[in-house]
Amino acid sequence: MLKDSTAIKWSFVGPVLALLIAFNVFPLCWNIVLSFTDADLSGGDWQWVRGRWYGRIFSGAEAGPQYALFASALRTTALFTILAVAIELLFGFILALALKDRFRGKTAVLTVLLVPMMLSPAVIGLFWSHILNGNHGILNQLLHGLGLPQPQWLTDPGWKFAAMLMVDVWMWTPFMMLISLAGLNAIPPHLYEAAEIDRASRWTVFRRITLPLCAPLLMLAVLLRATDALKQFDLVMSMTGPNDASTQTLSALLYQVMFQGGKVGLGSAYACVVLVVVIALATVFTRYLDWLAAKQGRA
Amino acid sequence: MAKWIAVIAVITVIALIVWISVRDNMAPQQAPDRPATPAKQALTIWWAQWDPAVGLQELGKDFERETGVAVTVQQIPWSTYQDQVFLNFGNKQTDFDIVVGDSQWIGRGASKGLYLDLSDWAKASVKLAELNATALKYLCEYPTGSGKLFALPCETDAVAFAYRKDWFADATEQAAFKAKHNRDLAPPQTWEEFRDVAAFFTRPEQKRYGCALLTGRGYDSLVMGFQNLFWAFGGSWGDAATFATEGHVNSPGAVAALGFMKELVALSPPGGADMDYGKVMEVFRNGSVAMSMDYVAFFPGLSKDMGDKVGYFAMPAKDGKRAISLGGQGFSVSSKVAPAQQELAKRFIAWFLQKNVQEQWITKPAGFTANQAILVSPEFRAKTPYNGPLADSMDHLQDFWNVPVYNELLSAAQRLIGEAIDGKSEPKAALDALAKEHAVILKDAGLAK
Repeated sequence: MLKDSTAIKWSFVGPVLALLIAFNVFPLCWNIVLSFTDADLSGGDWQWVRGRWYGRIFSGAEAGPQYALFASALRTTALFTILAVAIELLFGFILALALKDRFRGKTAVLTVLLVPMMLSPAVIGLFWSHILNGNHGILNQLLHGLGLPQPQWLTDPGWKFAAMLMVDVWMWTPFMMLISLAGLNAIPPHLYEAAEIDRASRWTVFRRITLPLCAPLLMLAVLLRATDALKQFDLVMSMTGPNDASTQTLSALLYQVMFQGGKVGLGSAYACVVLVVVIALATVFTRYLDWLAAKQGRA
Repeated sequence: MAKWIAVIAVITVIALIVWISVRDNMAPQQAPDRPATPAKQALTIWWAQWDPAVGLQELGKDFERETGVAVTVQQIPWSTYQDQVFLNFGNKQTDFDIVVGDSQWIGRGASKGLYLDLSDWAKASVKLAELNATALKYLCEYPTGSGKLFALPCETDAVAFAYRKDWFADATEQAAFKAKHNRDLAPPQTWEEFRDVAAFFTRPEQKRYGCALLTGRGYDSLVMGFQNLFWAFGGSWGDAATFATEGHVNSPGAVAALGFMKELVALSPPGGADMDYGKVMEVFRNGSVAMSMDYVAFFPGLSKDMGDKVGYFAMPAKDGKRAISLGGQGFSVSSKVAPAQQELAKRFIAWFLQKNVQEQWITKPAGFTANQAILVSPEFRAKTPYNGPLADSMDHLQDFWNVPVYNELLSAAQRLIGEAIDGKSEPKAALDALAKEHAVILKDAGLAK
């Protein structure tokens, strides 16, 4: 009986496990191996270089000016992640608060708001490139009509990063809104009723009931968005290209080194470092979520 | 009931998706009793997605008529062309027999053993003396000047200028320019004249600007644009023998060239500090600029759209020195295909370079030849308004580094020159940093000591 049940379990788990090993675990291990070699994209023999690439990445400019790019891309990625997630969380939560109650046409409004999230990032990058085009873009035509200055969104180094951030916020705010809405709808109504009886102010209700009870879901949304924003690639590629210092994220640098430069060894080392950063951040978030769940459990 | 309808709908959709996915594989197979036809000889060429590739495919049909060998030119979008080619070279066997590769790739292709050495075969089978020596040197040789050929010219191109012929011909503009500069308003011959003309046409209140230069940060357009001033003013990427960069990349002439380019960028339309090959054409087409810099391969489309309103001129000179960024690509044979395919590839290249085929090639959009006799012929110059400037440019062509680490060198140059153009650093500081960074990259690659 036990034998049969084990066989059934393996028959369910086995194929998925095999796929995971083939497409996740093996590439990850192989990437780690390659990061200690001088492998080239176009094949050929490669040599072991031990920790040369890691040494150079962490030495930065001392190892050569080109290695300072990692620090610059790390700064750009961190800034992008912090700003994008914070703005999306703020806007998403405000939108969710506005859409919490029933009103006529709510479904239609929700559907329209969710459209950006459902489009491919590459497509979004391409059509926003047209909207933001400094010469024929509709946004600048609109600004011109209103008598406002018309920035060169995609060519002025002072605006490129802001333009990319703006598009990301436009695309992912609905996601934050959706999660926030789920969190808001899950709050038991009797808590609000009790607060009303106690004549609690709106701010107190928000601070003591709405926010704490939504927090676990919001943190989950932040975790998901942050890990996604850390990998930002599609918008960079479609809006400014991978080699633009103003918008070069870690993924764009990785592409530039590995696919344009053909340096698979160095690119793999970059990828490993990025992976460690993502795992570290995800661990912090999940620990926080556990702590929050335990705290609420105690309460 | 509704539940069952939903289940049936889901099953139908899944079945439809599965059917669409597998229907090609379900196509009726050839009947087994039908005698099998002998495999037809075929050649696959990879090139970027643009007009000349369409022309090459048309010529390929002529080759098939003559030899029975089918030629397929697979066009790959420019944005992923390089990645796809080198990824494909990572396989044991490439999907192409011939790749029409950028001049800068040749070092990587040759030194990694990806491109077949064509030196001995070409000397015996191709009339090399008929080809333009500069095109042969920069498009085909590695190391440059060594005589070792890893490619043969396919499309030979140069950076030049398109200008608004109608604006230049306008009597009022002519008179105003003459009154200001005491000479006729005409396509400039020197960079100083170019600056005067660009400044003359710069009228932001009319949304009209003097020039649009190649300044894009994506791949190589800023470097390809800057080089025309850089070399003419006395700069150089380095010593070809020792790979030393100090004193070359940041020579006083190079610094002056970057400073001069910044002056010109100020005479370009908003966004002029970051314009790639497409954007310079866009602002020219929409009537914003008097002169636009680009590769000649982009000009056939411009002439088609703008007709007589547009004229062309070759790169201006500085103190009598004219230097022009090379464009175009050469045919290279993959070392990762069967010897029989390599022979077919060589046969096609030899056929393509015959003078009578080259005379056909120049009738195709942007089908620019390296055949010297055709280039200097009055018929070629008269054929299109941009052929003359192209022919005039040929002997002044130069190229960026084509060593295996060209991409790192290019990336550094794009970034640091870009910072100077954006005003984030002074030209001298930017080029000093570039000389240093290039020296490290070249040393790291084992090229410089």
